[in-house]
Amino acid sequence: MNALTDQSRAVLARGVRLRADPLSGEPLLLFPEGILPLDATTHDILLRCTGDLTLAGLLLALSEEYEVEPDELRTDVVQCLTHLRQEMLVVW
Amino acid sequence: MKYRPYLLLAELTYRCPLHCPYCSNPARYPDGRELTTAEWQRVFREAAALGVLHAGLSGGEPLQRADLPELVGAAREAGLYTNLITSAAGLNEARLGQLKAAGLDNIQISFQSDQESPANRIAGAAMHRVKLAAARMAHAAGFPLTVNVVLHRDNIDRLEEIIALAEELEAERLELANVQFYGWAFRNRAGLLPTRGQIAAAVPVAARAKQRLLGRMRILFVTPDYYSDRPKPCMDGWGRRFLTVNPVGEVLPCPTAKEIKELRFDNVRDHALDWIWHESAAFRRFRGTEWMPLPCRECEFREVDFGGCRCQAALLAGDAGVTDPACALSPHRERLTEFVQAAQSLEAPDFAYRQNP
Ligand SMILES: C[S@@+](CC[C@H](N)C(=O)[O-])C[C@H]1O[C@@H](n2cnc3c(N)ncnc32)[C@H](O)[C@@H]1O
Ligand code: SF4
Ligand code: SF4
Repeated sequence: MNALTDQSRAVLARGVRLRADPLSGEPLLLFPEGILPLDATTHDILLRCTGDLTLAGLLLALSEEYEVEPDELRTDVVQCLTHLRQEMLVVW
Repeated sequence: MKYRPYLLLAELTYRCPLHCPYCSNPARYPDGRELTTAEWQRVFREAAALGVLHAGLSGGEPLQRADLPELVGAAREAGLYTNLITSAAGLNEARLGQLKAAGLDNIQISFQSDQESPANRIAGAAMHRVKLAAARMAHAAGFPLTVNVVLHRDNIDRLEEIIALAEELEAERLELANVQFYGWAFRNRAGLLPTRGQIAAAVPVAARAKQRLLGRMRILFVTPDYYSDRPKPCMDGWGRRFLTVNPVGEVLPCPTAKEIKELRFDNVRDHALDWIWHESAAFRRFRGTEWMPLPCRECEFREVDFGGCRCQAALLAGDAGVTDPACALSPHRERLTEFVQAAQSLEAPDFAYRQNP
Protein backbone atom coordinates (compact mmCIF):
# COMPACT_ATOMS: atom_id res chain seq x y z
CA MET A 1 0.00 0.00 0.00
CA ASN A 2 1.44 3.42 -0.91
CA ALA A 3 2.39 5.63 2.01
CA LEU A 4 0.07 8.32 3.30
CA THR A 5 1.91 11.65 2.97
CA ASP A 6 0.92 15.28 3.36
CA GLN A 7 0.35 15.36 -0.39
CA SER A 8 -1.96 12.30 -0.49
CA ARG A 9 -5.56 12.93 -1.45
CA ALA A 10 -7.82 10.43 0.27
CA VAL A 11 -11.11 9.64 -1.49
CA LEU A 12 -13.87 7.10 -0.90
CA ALA A 13 -12.99 3.88 -2.70
CA ARG A 14 -15.10 2.78 -5.67
CA GLY A 15 -18.26 1.07 -4.54
CA VAL A 16 -18.36 2.85 -1.17
CA ARG A 17 -21.19 5.22 -0.30
CA LEU A 18 -21.43 7.70 2.54
CA ARG A 19 -24.95 8.51 3.63
CA ALA A 20 -27.26 9.26 6.50
CA ASP A 21 -29.41 6.49 7.87
CA PRO A 22 -32.91 7.45 6.65
CA LEU A 23 -34.43 6.23 9.92
CA SER A 24 -32.03 7.63 12.52
CA GLY A 25 -30.10 10.30 10.64
CA GLU A 26 -26.83 8.71 11.81
CA PRO A 27 -23.97 8.75 9.29
CA LEU A 28 -22.87 5.44 7.81
CA LEU A 29 -20.78 3.84 5.13
CA LEU A 30 -22.23 1.31 2.72
CA PHE A 31 -19.87 -1.05 0.91
CA PRO A 32 -20.02 -4.45 -0.80
CA GLU A 33 -19.85 -6.63 2.32
CA GLY A 34 -21.90 -4.50 4.66
CA ILE A 35 -22.57 -1.37 6.67
CA LEU A 36 -20.45 0.64 9.10
CA PRO A 37 -21.99 3.22 11.47
CA LEU A 38 -19.63 6.19 11.81
CA ASP A 39 -18.53 8.11 14.87
CA ALA A 40 -18.50 11.90 14.57
CA THR A 41 -14.75 12.21 13.93
CA THR A 42 -14.63 9.57 11.23
CA HIS A 43 -17.65 11.20 9.64
CA ASP A 44 -15.94 14.61 9.67
CA ILE A 45 -12.89 13.08 8.02
CA LEU A 46 -14.86 11.21 5.37
CA LEU A 47 -16.93 14.28 4.47
CA ARG A 48 -13.65 15.85 3.38
CA CYS A 49 -12.42 12.83 1.39
CA THR A 50 -13.69 14.27 -1.89
CA GLY A 51 -10.33 14.50 -3.62
CA ASP A 52 -10.19 18.27 -3.19
CA LEU A 53 -7.95 18.16 -0.13
CA THR A 54 -4.49 16.77 0.49
CA LEU A 55 -3.82 15.28 3.91
CA ALA A 56 -2.24 18.60 4.91
CA GLY A 57 -5.36 20.44 3.75
CA LEU A 58 -7.61 17.97 5.52
CA LEU A 59 -5.73 18.45 8.80
CA LEU A 60 -5.97 22.21 8.39
CA ALA A 61 -9.71 22.11 7.70
CA LEU A 62 -10.34 19.86 10.70
CA SER A 63 -8.12 21.95 12.95
CA GLU A 64 -10.22 25.02 12.14
CA GLU A 65 -13.39 23.13 12.87
CA TYR A 66 -12.11 21.74 16.17
CA GLU A 67 -10.08 24.85 17.04
CA VAL A 68 -6.83 22.97 17.68
CA GLU A 69 -3.41 22.83 15.98
CA PRO A 70 -3.31 20.57 12.87
CA ASP A 71 -0.47 18.49 14.31
CA GLU A 72 -2.52 17.59 17.36
CA LEU A 73 -4.91 15.79 15.04
CA ARG A 74 -2.35 14.10 12.83
CA THR A 75 -1.94 10.80 14.69
CA ASP A 76 -5.66 10.16 14.99
CA VAL A 77 -6.47 11.14 11.42
CA VAL A 78 -3.64 9.07 9.98
CA GLN A 79 -4.68 6.10 12.08
CA CYS A 80 -8.30 6.46 11.02
CA LEU A 81 -7.46 6.76 7.31
CA THR A 82 -5.03 3.85 7.48
CA HIS A 83 -7.65 1.66 9.06
CA LEU A 84 -10.25 2.66 6.45
CA ARG A 85 -7.72 1.96 3.71
CA GLN A 86 -7.08 -1.52 5.06
CA GLU A 87 -10.79 -2.23 4.78
CA MET A 88 -10.70 -0.79 1.23
CA LEU A 89 -13.12 1.98 2.15
CA VAL A 90 -10.83 4.87 1.17
CA VAL A 91 -7.91 5.07 -1.23
CA TRP A 92 -5.24 7.68 -2.07
CA MET B 1 -36.52 -4.61 21.82
CA LYS B 2 -37.54 -3.57 18.33
CA TYR B 3 -35.69 -5.49 15.66
CA ARG B 4 -34.64 -3.89 12.41
CA PRO B 5 -33.31 -5.59 9.27
CA TYR B 6 -30.32 -3.89 7.66
CA LEU B 7 -29.47 -6.33 4.89
CA LEU B 8 -31.63 -8.05 2.33
CA LEU B 9 -30.57 -11.04 0.28
CA ALA B 10 -32.78 -11.10 -2.80
CA GLU B 11 -32.61 -14.54 -4.40
CA LEU B 12 -34.02 -13.63 -7.79
CA THR B 13 -34.17 -17.11 -9.30
CA TYR B 14 -32.94 -20.65 -8.61
CA ARG B 15 -32.20 -21.19 -12.30
CA CYS B 16 -28.48 -21.50 -12.98
CA PRO B 17 -26.38 -22.84 -15.87
CA LEU B 18 -23.72 -24.12 -13.46
CA HIS B 19 -23.90 -27.24 -11.30
CA CYS B 20 -21.59 -26.61 -8.35
CA PRO B 21 -21.77 -29.57 -5.95
CA TYR B 22 -20.96 -27.14 -3.12
CA CYS B 23 -24.00 -24.99 -3.85
CA SER B 24 -25.83 -23.94 -0.69
CA ASN B 25 -29.13 -23.60 -2.56
CA PRO B 26 -31.85 -25.97 -1.39
CA ALA B 27 -31.59 -29.46 -2.83
CA ARG B 28 -35.40 -29.40 -3.06
CA TYR B 29 -36.74 -26.22 -4.60
CA PRO B 30 -39.94 -24.63 -3.33
CA ASP B 31 -43.04 -24.77 -5.51
CA GLY B 32 -44.42 -21.64 -7.03
CA ARG B 33 -43.81 -19.01 -9.69
CA GLU B 34 -40.91 -16.59 -9.48
CA LEU B 35 -41.76 -13.12 -8.24
CA THR B 36 -42.45 -10.65 -11.06
CA THR B 37 -40.61 -7.39 -11.65
CA ALA B 38 -43.43 -5.45 -9.99
CA GLU B 39 -43.45 -7.79 -6.99
CA TRP B 40 -39.71 -7.32 -6.47
CA GLN B 41 -40.15 -3.56 -6.76
CA ARG B 42 -42.63 -3.73 -3.92
CA VAL B 43 -40.30 -5.95 -1.87
CA PHE B 44 -37.45 -3.43 -2.23
CA ARG B 45 -39.71 -0.54 -1.20
CA GLU B 46 -41.10 -2.41 1.79
CA ALA B 47 -37.64 -3.54 2.84
CA ALA B 48 -36.30 0.01 2.69
CA ALA B 49 -39.24 1.24 4.77
CA LEU B 50 -38.38 -1.39 7.40
CA GLY B 51 -34.81 -0.11 7.62
CA VAL B 52 -32.92 -2.20 5.07
CA LEU B 53 -29.99 -0.32 3.55
CA HIS B 54 -28.16 -2.98 1.58
CA ALA B 55 -29.29 -5.55 -0.97
CA GLY B 56 -27.40 -8.57 -2.28
CA LEU B 57 -28.87 -9.71 -5.59
CA SER B 58 -28.22 -13.41 -5.82
CA GLY B 59 -29.78 -16.76 -6.66
CA GLY B 60 -29.30 -19.21 -8.44
CA GLU B 61 -27.88 -17.07 -11.16
CA PRO B 62 -29.40 -13.57 -11.03
CA LEU B 63 -28.33 -12.85 -14.63
CA GLN B 64 -30.88 -15.44 -15.73
CA ARG B 65 -33.49 -12.76 -15.03
CA ALA B 66 -33.97 -10.67 -18.17
CA ASP B 67 -35.29 -7.85 -15.97
CA LEU B 68 -32.13 -7.68 -13.80
CA PRO B 69 -31.25 -4.07 -14.75
CA GLU B 70 -34.80 -3.03 -13.88
CA LEU B 71 -34.56 -4.81 -10.54
CA VAL B 72 -31.24 -3.11 -9.78
CA GLY B 73 -32.86 0.19 -10.69
CA ALA B 74 -35.78 -0.52 -8.38
CA ALA B 75 -33.50 -1.39 -5.47
CA ARG B 76 -31.46 1.78 -6.04
CA GLU B 77 -34.60 3.85 -6.32
CA ALA B 78 -35.67 2.50 -2.93
CA GLY B 79 -32.33 3.81 -1.63
CA LEU B 80 -30.60 0.44 -1.27
CA TYR B 81 -26.93 -0.31 -1.86
CA THR B 82 -26.73 -3.03 -4.53
CA ASN B 83 -24.22 -5.87 -4.81
CA LEU B 84 -24.63 -8.36 -7.65
CA ILE B 85 -23.59 -11.85 -6.56
CA THR B 86 -23.00 -13.81 -9.72
CA SER B 87 -21.26 -16.73 -11.43
CA ALA B 88 -20.78 -14.31 -14.37
CA ALA B 89 -22.73 -16.58 -16.71
CA GLY B 90 -24.45 -14.11 -19.02
CA LEU B 91 -22.38 -11.08 -18.06
CA ASN B 92 -21.44 -9.34 -21.30
CA GLU B 93 -20.58 -5.80 -22.39
CA ALA B 94 -24.21 -4.86 -23.11
CA ARG B 95 -25.45 -6.22 -19.79
CA LEU B 96 -22.70 -4.40 -17.90
CA GLY B 97 -23.70 -1.15 -19.57
CA GLN B 98 -27.33 -1.63 -18.52
CA LEU B 99 -26.33 -2.50 -14.95
CA LYS B 100 -24.06 0.52 -14.74
CA ALA B 101 -26.84 2.78 -15.98
CA ALA B 102 -29.21 1.24 -13.42
CA GLY B 103 -26.79 2.24 -10.64
CA LEU B 104 -25.33 -1.13 -9.57
CA ASP B 105 -22.70 -0.53 -6.86
CA ASN B 106 -20.54 -3.68 -6.87
CA ILE B 107 -20.06 -6.97 -8.70
CA GLN B 108 -19.05 -10.16 -6.95
CA ILE B 109 -17.95 -13.02 -9.19
CA SER B 110 -17.39 -16.54 -7.92
CA PHE B 111 -14.58 -18.74 -9.25
CA GLN B 112 -14.16 -22.46 -8.68
CA SER B 113 -10.36 -22.56 -8.93
CA ASP B 114 -7.49 -20.71 -10.57
CA GLN B 115 -7.04 -23.30 -13.34
CA GLU B 116 -9.45 -23.88 -16.16
CA SER B 117 -9.84 -27.60 -16.15
CA PRO B 118 -10.49 -28.21 -12.43
CA ALA B 119 -12.64 -25.08 -12.29
CA ASN B 120 -14.86 -26.35 -15.09
CA ARG B 121 -15.01 -29.81 -13.55
CA ILE B 122 -16.19 -28.38 -10.23
CA ALA B 123 -18.73 -26.05 -11.86
CA GLY B 124 -20.02 -28.86 -14.08
CA ALA B 125 -19.85 -26.36 -16.94
CA ALA B 126 -17.16 -24.76 -19.11
CA MET B 127 -17.29 -21.37 -17.44
CA HIS B 128 -13.81 -20.47 -16.28
CA ARG B 129 -12.79 -18.44 -19.35
CA VAL B 130 -16.14 -16.71 -19.40
CA LYS B 131 -15.60 -15.65 -15.80
CA LEU B 132 -12.10 -14.33 -16.47
CA ALA B 133 -13.34 -12.28 -19.41
CA ALA B 134 -16.34 -11.01 -17.43
CA ALA B 135 -14.21 -9.95 -14.47
CA ARG B 136 -11.95 -7.95 -16.78
CA MET B 137 -14.94 -6.40 -18.53
CA ALA B 138 -16.51 -5.45 -15.21
CA HIS B 139 -13.27 -3.80 -14.16
CA ALA B 140 -13.01 -1.90 -17.43
CA ALA B 141 -16.63 -0.75 -17.04
CA GLY B 142 -15.62 0.89 -13.75
CA PHE B 143 -17.17 -1.57 -11.32
CA PRO B 144 -15.43 -2.50 -8.09
CA LEU B 145 -14.92 -6.26 -8.00
CA THR B 146 -15.20 -8.87 -5.31
CA VAL B 147 -13.84 -12.32 -6.13
CA ASN B 148 -15.48 -15.14 -4.21
CA VAL B 149 -14.09 -18.66 -4.04
CA VAL B 150 -15.75 -21.41 -2.06
CA LEU B 151 -12.93 -23.51 -0.58
CA HIS B 152 -13.25 -27.27 -0.21
CA ARG B 153 -11.17 -30.40 -0.40
CA ASP B 154 -10.84 -30.23 -4.18
CA ASN B 155 -9.44 -26.70 -4.46
CA ILE B 156 -8.07 -25.55 -1.11
CA ASP B 157 -4.55 -26.76 -1.94
CA ARG B 158 -4.50 -24.12 -4.69
CA LEU B 159 -5.04 -21.25 -2.23
CA GLU B 160 -1.80 -19.45 -3.08
CA GLU B 161 -2.63 -19.52 -6.79
CA ILE B 162 -6.26 -18.57 -6.17
CA ILE B 163 -5.11 -15.46 -4.31
CA ALA B 164 -2.74 -14.66 -7.18
CA LEU B 165 -5.65 -14.88 -9.61
CA ALA B 166 -7.71 -12.39 -7.60
CA GLU B 167 -4.68 -10.07 -7.51
CA GLU B 168 -4.23 -10.34 -11.24
CA LEU B 169 -7.90 -9.45 -11.73
CA GLU B 170 -7.33 -6.39 -9.50
CA ALA B 171 -10.19 -7.29 -7.22
CA GLU B 172 -10.80 -4.93 -4.32
CA ARG B 173 -11.97 -7.85 -2.23
CA LEU B 174 -11.42 -11.59 -2.07
CA GLU B 175 -13.85 -13.75 -0.14
CA LEU B 176 -12.33 -17.10 0.69
CA ALA B 177 -15.47 -18.85 1.84
CA ASN B 178 -14.86 -22.19 3.46
CA VAL B 179 -17.68 -24.36 2.22
CA GLN B 180 -20.68 -24.37 4.52
CA PHE B 181 -22.76 -27.48 4.62
CA TYR B 182 -26.30 -26.70 3.52
CA GLY B 183 -28.38 -27.69 0.52
CA TRP B 184 -26.33 -29.43 -2.17
CA ALA B 185 -23.19 -28.99 -0.10
CA PHE B 186 -24.70 -30.97 2.75
CA ARG B 187 -25.39 -33.82 0.35
CA ASN B 188 -21.80 -33.69 -0.84
CA ARG B 189 -20.18 -32.96 2.47
CA ALA B 190 -18.07 -36.11 2.73
CA GLY B 191 -16.38 -35.20 -0.55
CA LEU B 192 -16.11 -31.48 0.20
CA LEU B 193 -14.80 -31.36 3.75
CA PRO B 194 -11.10 -30.43 3.67
CA THR B 195 -8.82 -32.49 5.86
CA ARG B 196 -7.37 -31.07 9.05
CA GLY B 197 -3.98 -30.90 7.33
CA GLN B 198 -5.39 -28.92 4.42
CA ILE B 199 -6.94 -26.37 6.77
CA ALA B 200 -3.74 -26.10 8.80
CA ALA B 201 -1.83 -25.36 5.60
CA ALA B 202 -4.39 -22.86 4.28
CA VAL B 203 -4.76 -20.68 7.39
CA PRO B 204 -1.20 -19.21 7.31
CA VAL B 205 -1.33 -18.78 3.53
CA ALA B 206 -4.47 -16.66 3.89
CA ALA B 207 -3.05 -14.74 6.86
CA ARG B 208 0.21 -13.91 5.06
CA ALA B 209 -1.59 -12.79 1.92
CA LYS B 210 -3.96 -10.68 3.97
CA GLN B 211 -1.02 -8.87 5.53
CA ARG B 212 0.89 -8.51 2.27
CA LEU B 213 -2.12 -7.11 0.42
CA LEU B 214 -3.33 -4.70 3.13
CA GLY B 215 -4.66 -1.59 1.47
CA ARG B 216 -4.76 -3.20 -1.99
CA MET B 217 -7.11 -6.14 -1.69
CA ARG B 218 -9.16 -7.02 1.33
CA ILE B 219 -9.12 -10.73 2.09
CA LEU B 220 -11.95 -12.26 4.06
CA PHE B 221 -11.22 -15.75 5.25
CA VAL B 222 -13.74 -17.46 7.47
CA THR B 223 -12.43 -20.46 9.41
CA PRO B 224 -14.63 -23.49 8.99
CA ASP B 225 -16.84 -24.31 11.96
CA TYR B 226 -16.44 -28.08 11.58
CA TYR B 227 -12.84 -27.51 12.73
CA SER B 228 -13.65 -25.03 15.45
CA ASP B 229 -14.81 -25.29 19.07
CA ARG B 230 -17.21 -22.44 18.71
CA PRO B 231 -20.09 -22.06 16.29
CA LYS B 232 -20.40 -19.17 13.88
CA PRO B 233 -22.65 -16.29 14.97
CA CYS B 234 -25.08 -17.30 12.31
CA MET B 235 -26.66 -14.27 10.56
CA ASP B 236 -25.73 -12.23 13.68
CA GLY B 237 -28.79 -13.74 15.31
CA TRP B 238 -32.08 -15.06 13.93
CA GLY B 239 -34.34 -12.27 12.66
CA ARG B 240 -31.97 -9.66 14.02
CA ARG B 241 -30.29 -7.93 11.05
CA PHE B 242 -30.84 -10.09 7.96
CA LEU B 243 -33.70 -10.92 5.69
CA THR B 244 -33.79 -13.26 2.69
CA VAL B 245 -36.54 -13.32 0.09
CA ASN B 246 -36.36 -16.44 -2.07
CA PRO B 247 -37.36 -16.62 -5.75
CA VAL B 248 -40.97 -17.55 -5.05
CA GLY B 249 -41.46 -14.87 -2.40
CA GLU B 250 -40.95 -16.75 0.86
CA VAL B 251 -39.24 -14.64 3.49
CA LEU B 252 -36.50 -16.38 5.47
CA PRO B 253 -34.25 -15.32 8.35
CA CYS B 254 -31.36 -16.86 6.38
CA PRO B 255 -30.98 -18.29 2.88
CA THR B 256 -30.83 -21.89 4.10
CA ALA B 257 -33.68 -21.73 6.62
CA LYS B 258 -35.77 -24.14 4.55
CA GLU B 259 -33.59 -26.87 6.02
CA ILE B 260 -35.80 -26.48 9.08
CA LYS B 261 -38.78 -28.60 8.17
CA GLU B 262 -40.87 -27.69 11.22
CA LEU B 263 -41.15 -24.02 10.15
CA ARG B 264 -43.54 -22.49 7.64
CA PHE B 265 -42.30 -19.32 5.97
CA ASP B 266 -44.73 -16.60 5.01
CA ASN B 267 -44.78 -15.15 1.51
CA VAL B 268 -44.63 -11.53 0.33
CA ARG B 269 -47.59 -12.39 -1.90
CA ASP B 270 -49.78 -12.91 1.16
CA HIS B 271 -48.42 -10.49 3.75
CA ALA B 272 -46.66 -7.17 4.13
CA LEU B 273 -42.94 -7.57 4.74
CA ASP B 274 -43.30 -5.52 7.93
CA TRP B 275 -45.74 -8.05 9.38
CA ILE B 276 -43.60 -11.02 8.33
CA TRP B 277 -40.49 -9.51 9.93
CA HIS B 278 -42.11 -8.47 13.19
CA GLU B 279 -44.98 -10.88 13.69
CA SER B 280 -44.66 -14.08 11.68
CA ALA B 281 -44.11 -17.27 13.66
CA ALA B 282 -40.95 -18.25 11.76
CA PHE B 283 -39.18 -14.97 12.56
CA ARG B 284 -40.19 -15.05 16.20
CA ARG B 285 -39.28 -18.68 16.74
CA PHE B 286 -35.54 -18.21 17.43
CA ARG B 287 -35.32 -14.48 18.01
CA GLY B 288 -33.37 -13.21 21.02
CA THR B 289 -32.34 -15.65 23.75
CA GLU B 290 -35.73 -16.78 25.12
CA TRP B 291 -35.87 -19.92 22.99
CA MET B 292 -32.47 -21.18 24.10
CA PRO B 293 -31.99 -24.55 25.77
CA LEU B 294 -29.02 -25.46 27.92
CA PRO B 295 -26.06 -25.09 27.59
CA CYS B 296 -26.69 -21.86 25.62
CA ARG B 297 -29.20 -20.42 28.07
CA GLU B 298 -26.60 -20.05 30.80
CA CYS B 299 -23.59 -19.48 28.57
CA GLU B 300 -21.60 -16.24 28.54
CA PHE B 301 -21.45 -16.34 24.74
CA ARG B 302 -25.20 -16.41 24.14
CA GLU B 303 -25.29 -12.81 22.90
CA VAL B 304 -22.08 -13.30 20.92
CA ASP B 305 -22.85 -16.33 18.75
CA PHE B 306 -26.60 -16.61 19.46
CA GLY B 307 -26.28 -20.35 19.94
CA GLY B 308 -24.89 -20.84 16.43
CA CYS B 309 -26.80 -21.91 13.38
CA ARG B 310 -30.38 -23.22 13.56
CA CYS B 311 -30.13 -24.94 10.19
CA GLN B 312 -27.04 -26.80 11.27
CA ALA B 313 -28.78 -27.90 14.47
CA ALA B 314 -31.66 -29.21 12.34
CA LEU B 315 -29.36 -30.98 9.87
CA LEU B 316 -26.93 -32.51 12.38
CA ALA B 317 -29.03 -33.03 15.50
CA GLY B 318 -32.47 -33.33 13.92
CA ASP B 319 -33.77 -30.47 16.08
CA ALA B 320 -33.47 -26.80 15.09
CA GLY B 321 -34.02 -25.78 18.71
CA VAL B 322 -30.79 -27.16 20.20
CA THR B 323 -27.26 -25.76 20.52
CA ASP B 324 -25.38 -25.81 17.21
CA PRO B 325 -23.49 -29.14 17.13
CA ALA B 326 -20.37 -27.26 16.01
CA CYS B 327 -20.10 -25.95 19.59
CA ALA B 328 -17.79 -27.98 21.83
CA LEU B 329 -20.41 -27.69 24.59
CA SER B 330 -23.15 -29.25 22.48
CA PRO B 331 -24.18 -32.78 23.47
CA HIS B 332 -24.17 -33.53 19.71
CA ARG B 333 -20.62 -32.38 19.06
CA GLU B 334 -19.23 -35.88 19.39
CA ARG B 335 -21.17 -37.13 16.39
CA LEU B 336 -19.86 -34.26 14.30
CA THR B 337 -16.31 -34.93 15.48
CA GLU B 338 -16.70 -38.57 14.47
CA PHE B 339 -17.82 -37.51 11.01
CA VAL B 340 -14.87 -35.13 10.70
CA GLN B 341 -12.53 -37.89 11.90
CA ALA B 342 -13.88 -40.42 9.43
CA ALA B 343 -13.61 -37.91 6.59
CA GLN B 344 -9.84 -37.48 7.08
CA SER B 345 -8.96 -40.68 5.28
CA LEU B 346 -11.94 -40.83 2.95
CA GLU B 347 -11.58 -41.33 -0.76
CA ALA B 348 -13.68 -38.45 -2.07
CA PRO B 349 -16.92 -39.97 -3.40
CA ASP B 350 -18.50 -38.82 -6.64
CA PHE B 351 -20.25 -35.50 -6.39
CA ALA B 352 -24.00 -35.05 -6.78
CA TYR B 353 -24.02 -32.05 -9.09
CA ARG B 354 -26.59 -29.33 -8.50
CA GLN B 355 -29.63 -29.62 -10.73
CA ASN B 356 -32.00 -26.90 -11.84
CA PRO B 357 -35.57 -26.42 -10.61
C1 LIG C 1 -25.59 -19.57 -3.99
S1 LIG C 1 -24.54 -18.47 -4.84
C2 LIG C 1 -25.60 -17.65 -5.98
C3 LIG C 1 -24.90 -16.63 -6.87
C4 LIG C 1 -24.10 -17.16 -8.05
N1 LIG C 1 -24.75 -18.26 -8.69
C5 LIG C 1 -22.71 -17.55 -7.63
O1 LIG C 1 -22.47 -18.73 -7.43
O2 LIG C 1 -21.86 -16.67 -7.52
C6 LIG C 1 -24.20 -17.17 -3.67
C7 LIG C 1 -22.77 -17.11 -3.12
O3 LIG C 1 -22.63 -18.16 -2.19
C8 LIG C 1 -21.43 -18.85 -2.45
N2 LIG C 1 -21.69 -20.23 -2.01
C9 LIG C 1 -22.39 -21.17 -2.65
N3 LIG C 1 -22.46 -22.31 -1.94
C10 LIG C 1 -21.75 -22.07 -0.81
C11 LIG C 1 -21.44 -22.88 0.33
N4 LIG C 1 -21.86 -24.12 0.43
N5 LIG C 1 -20.70 -22.33 1.31
C12 LIG C 1 -20.27 -21.05 1.23
N6 LIG C 1 -20.54 -20.24 0.18
C13 LIG C 1 -21.27 -20.76 -0.83
C14 LIG C 1 -21.19 -18.67 -3.93
O4 LIG C 1 -19.84 -18.84 -4.29
C15 LIG C 1 -21.67 -17.26 -4.14
O5 LIG C 1 -20.66 -16.33 -3.85
S1 SF4 D 1 -24.63 -23.89 -8.80
FE1 SF4 D 1 -22.83 -22.57 -8.43
S2 SF4 D 1 -23.14 -20.84 -9.76
FE2 SF4 D 1 -25.14 -21.85 -9.57
S3 SF4 D 1 -26.18 -20.88 -7.83
FE3 SF4 D 1 -25.08 -22.59 -6.99
S4 SF4 D 1 -23.10 -21.73 -6.36
FE4 SF4 D 1 -24.02 -20.26 -7.77
S1 SF4 E 1 -23.19 -23.11 24.47
FE1 SF4 E 1 -24.45 -21.96 23.03
S2 SF4 E 1 -24.03 -19.79 23.47
FE2 SF4 E 1 -22.40 -21.02 24.45
S3 SF4 E 1 -20.72 -21.06 22.95
FE3 SF4 E 1 -21.96 -22.90 22.60
S4 SF4 E 1 -23.46 -22.28 21.04
FE4 SF4 E 1 -22.59 -20.38 21.88
